[in-house]
Amino acid sequence: MSFFDDLFRRVPALLMARRNLSRNRIRSGLAVLGIIIGVLAIASLGMFGTTLRTGADQQLGEIGNEISISPNLQEGVEELTDRDVDEIERAVTDGEVVPLRSESALVSRGQQQTVATIYGMENPGALYEAQEGRVPDRLRQGALVGSGTAEILDVEPGNTISVDGRTYRIAAVLAEEQGISLVSPNNAVVVPLEDVNGTGYSQVVVSSDSGQAANESAVAIRESLNERDERVNVFELQAITQGIDQFFGIINTFLIGIGSISLVVAGVSILNVMLMSTIERRQEIGVLRAVGVQRGDVIRMILAEAGLLGVAGGVIGAILAVGAGVALNSFVLNDPLATFQPVNFLYILLAVGFGIGTSILSGLYPAWKAANERPVEALRK
Amino acid sequence: MTHIIELQHVWKRYDTGGEVVEALKDVDFYADPGEFVSVMGPSGSGKSTMLNVLGLLDTPTEGTVLLDGQDVTDLSDHEMTTQRKQFVGFIFQSFHLIPTLSALENVEVPTLFGDDPSARERATDLLERVGLGNRLHYRPDQLSGGQKQRVAIARALVNEPRILLADEPTGNLDRKTGRSVLDLFDEIRREDDVAVIAVTHDPQLGEYADRTVQLVDGRIQ
Repeated sequence: MSFFDDLFRRVPALLMARRNLSRNRIRSGLAVLGIIIGVLAIASLGMFGTTLRTGADQQLGEIGNEISISPNLQEGVEELTDRDVDEIERAVTDGEVVPLRSESALVSRGQQQTVATIYGMENPGALYEAQEGRVPDRLRQGALVGSGTAEILDVEPGNTISVDGRTYRIAAVLAEEQGISLVSPNNAVVVPLEDVNGTGYSQVVVSSDSGQAANESAVAIRESLNERDERVNVFELQAITQGIDQFFGIINTFLIGIGSISLVVAGVSILNVMLMSTIERRQEIGVLRAVGVQRGDVIRMILAEAGLLGVAGGVIGAILAVGAGVALNSFVLNDPLATFQPVNFLYILLAVGFGIGTSILSGLYPAWKAANERPVEALRK
Repeated sequence: MTHIIELQHVWKRYDTGGEVVEALKDVDFYADPGEFVSVMGPSGSGKSTMLNVLGLLDTPTEGTVLLDGQDVTDLSDHEMTTQRKQFVGFIFQSFHLIPTLSALENVEVPTLFGDDPSARERATDLLERVGLGNRLHYRPDQLSGGQKQRVAIARALVNEPRILLADEPTGNLDRKTGRSVLDLFDEIRREDDVAVIAVTHDPQLGEYADRTVQLVDGRIQ
């Protein structure tokens, strides 16, 4: 209480403003409600955009960190050679190079059988993690089974399966890949490289720690392998994820734009409220001017009123927005804490700032009008 | 001795859509410290206009206004406001208290915007002096008409003005209450050496005034 007394003593415009607002609580409340809705709309639509983006990022997984190099069939290159792989390894500074061969084959265990993609690779550990069992660094014998195939065949590590007539002991069942992947393990079987027919490689996947490293590798590989002629196609998913990110950025801006409209409406309602209340109080304001209150102080007083409406609406709106964000994220992402990302605080800050700004802006005209009325006119009965 | 306030050859004309109304016609007027002057006249005679010019709320079309010997005719709005705050206290017929503020806060209003640490003390003293020491925290709607006018008087005095301007101060009060307000004026001008100028139709006021000025059709008779 003493804090407020002190504050009011220092900033008398606030005291007057506070008292004036309490004069017609319903009207002030409705004006605040307008700002609450506006702030809530901007902040929660902004956060909604973040949720969309986070959800999409989860779906896309770490796809942006991978690049795939394949032979350029149009130039007559049928497969990638060991020399190509060496060059790729030299070009890549940060990331693991996984050359592979693939084909489709019938996989069976007892009566159960299914067609699966067969990847032959030496170092699957760079790409996959095990759900059961263990993924060896070098795959020399045995097979790794994707989760989908394992389910169909009802197998677990230690069982044996037959791939195209060859028998393998299962070393691991691979963890299900949630997002999109260049070499999805879900319906595949990974076997040692030499077990897949062919001499070269059908594809080389480079897995990096970050999208930026992947991008640098892609540039280096293009420079190195495609120097003379277009030997290989380098497929980068980062370009796609960047595009998707941009798209969500646009959606976000669009959503916030819609939210801003409601804030403009709220601003008009504050303008209306302030205008009404200054017209009602013109005699009082005339008295203030008569007893020696300067124009500037009248302006400050009315702006303080508008500002208080904005602050109250902004704070309540922000609290509600956080609530809405928590509800949305726990519903969509199953992770209510995803609300508390720095970017969301930015949206809330932006929304509250806009709310207060709109209020003060809406107070300008009534304030100017009240301050410039001649006290003589205002006092006339 | 210089007059605390003086009007010299003051004219006030209003242009009301083509027709020029002359509210004040060549008015000469003065008041001295400690003097109680009543300005009487029928309604529409220019009394309020004259009070507004005296109180630096309005500027004359022609003529000069001297405040404590200084020419204040052509001051800017800001300077006029500053002079008002320093020299003039206003009392209105309908009190014009701010309904959301307590009696004490209402008295403090003229001191509110500005660094004035002793304002609360002065306001309290003044309310005690006008007999409202036990009503400091009442809102205007909890006070009677006479009490409201006393709060208004305390408000007019809080900046220790040299001139007290009253527009029909007893107009909304019954006779007895009006008399007590006028007694208060009398006390103030004697004790504080303040010039009291009251505009009124109330003949009762004439008994208190040192001097009565008649204003008819914008001219002093």
